Amino acid sequence: MIKESFTGLKTYKLKKIKSFLLLLVVLASSTSCVAVKEYNKVFLNDADMALKAPFSERFETTFHIYREAAAGANGGKTGGGCGCN
Amino acid sequence: MVVKQAVVVDVIKKILCVIFLSLGFVTYAQQDSTQVYKKKVLETVEIDVLLGYYEQEGIHAAVTGGIGNEDLQNIAPSVVVRIPLNEDDVLTADVGISAYTSASSSNGNPFNTAASSGYDDDDDDERSGNGNGNGGGNSPTGTPWVASSGASRKDVLTSINFSYVHATDDRNRYWSSNIGASFEYDYQSFGFGGGYTQLWNEKNTEFSLKAQVYLDQWKPIIPTEIHEFDLFGVNFLTDNQSYFSGVSVIDKDGNSVASYLPSNYSPIDDVNRNSYSVSLGFSQILSKRAQFSVFLDLVKQQGWLANPLQRVYFADQANFYIGNRSSIANYEDPSNTDLFHLADDIERLPRNRFKYPFGMRLNYYVNEYLVVRSYVRRYADDWGVNSNTFQLELPIKFNLNWKLTPSYRYYDQTAADYFAPYDQHLSTQAFYTSDYDLSAFSSHQIGGALVYTDVLSKYSLWKLSLKNISLRFQNYQRSDGLSAFSIATGFSFVLD
Repeated sequence: MIKESFTGLKTYKLKKIKSFLLLLVVLASSTSCVAVKEYNKVFLNDADMALKAPFSERFETTFHIYREAAAGANGGKTGGGCGCN
Repeated sequence: MVVKQAVVVDVIKKILCVIFLSLGFVTYAQQDSTQVYKKKVLETVEIDVLLGYYEQEGIHAAVTGGIGNEDLQNIAPSVVVRIPLNEDDVLTADVGISAYTSASSSNGNPFNTAASSGYDDDDDDERSGNGNGNGGGNSPTGTPWVASSGASRKDVLTSINFSYVHATDDRNRYWSSNIGASFEYDYQSFGFGGGYTQLWNEKNTEFSLKAQVYLDQWKPIIPTEIHEFDLFGVNFLTDNQSYFSGVSVIDKDGNSVASYLPSNYSPIDDVNRNSYSVSLGFSQILSKRAQFSVFLDLVKQQGWLANPLQRVYFADQANFYIGNRSSIANYEDPSNTDLFHLADDIERLPRNRFKYPFGMRLNYYVNEYLVVRSYVRRYADDWGVNSNTFQLELPIKFNLNWKLTPSYRYYDQTAADYFAPYDQHLSTQAFYTSDYDLSAFSSHQIGGALVYTDVLSKYSLWKLSLKNISLRFQNYQRSDGLSAFSIATGFSFVLD
């Protein structure tokens, strides 16, 4: 029984490591794509293409931090600065 | 005397030397700036004003142990000013207040008579408790289902933050630092941090690293019955100075008793709550129309991580009430307007918490009318909370001025190991909470944003030209019954 649990845990960890390695490979390979030149970035420079939450969203990010246990990885606070979770 | 004079002259010489050297650097920098054209990181002063309103309804108030009215209204204005100090440096000041009224918080003292121990919550409730408890007409009553008018029903959070960003000449490296503080009636926070961003591959690839520290402190407010026990010890039901002097406490059968004792309670020995976080970010342009980023935060929190105002009730201990004995049977129903269950203890949580949120954004420019913005997040912590977040926004441009952005957000989480509903914890447990923000639930949020962009700067206020106006509205539904609505309006200006 203990051996089975240990094997299960090992398989789970291996799966996690594999996923992380896959992500690293994707990230590394994406950097080797042909770079988009500055003069070709007109679409990418559109305000809605910004890789962050718009300023007007920060009010609701604050109430998410209060009403949900998860926080962070979105540019908002990750904990601290308020008496919330 | 001569020696002193020599020392003073030496110091003056050194100061002059430093001043001349500094002037030399300034002169060099000025000469250099005339030789090499650099586009400013920020062209002019920008001002963003945001006014938000939020309200919620629910039946799982944490202050009354997981049941009760959790109506809340919040108004939060904030102003952000970004000032270019020179071509390379930007200073940002961010000031805001957040004022709320909360039914849950109001029931820190739910009773409808003034205290006698000096712990007067100014609780002159206007509801009509009929005082049918054993204490007669003057006996206090309370209920978790009606907001109390005590001082803890409202609070104002004031925050101020400054950040400074420096860019290198080639705009491939950015250094940043920030410092800030916030104040609430029962909580204060001081925070600081720094960050570094590196771009390469013709600015197609970006890596950022940020560290942040919050040094927070509780000024604990605890529920009235626990406060009196803390103040008068085991005699808190009989001491003449106690809030409960002469007040009848009844058991589950409605009998007047003197055996109520929140013996699990021990005073808060450490009011500090410190948070340390490291954030890693990586972004990559995939094509002329697509780019993505990934974020990983590593967060450690230390100190008093529970909320001292939140009650907990134990299933293995007798229940004691103040108020109308005939309401015992329907205590958990909103029809109870005159009976209050006395707490067994306050919320207790471990002194440490590790959080590991991992997020990803992918944006795609479909055409001049439509952009697809997506965000996913996976979160885990060592309290047993695992969560998933998914958000989709579709900014649709009608013309150069008007844009509508419908959005949808899904969120779910598992319960923290220390969560149990009202009256289901055991007194033998080390940690316990009945705060439904730490329970298992899912939520759906649907809303949108309407944005007007003043492309030609037709409108101005004093020397400020309007950039855009936005109106954002969201409806939030949680599977435990909590529902919320928020609306925020923002104004962006640039200085002429």
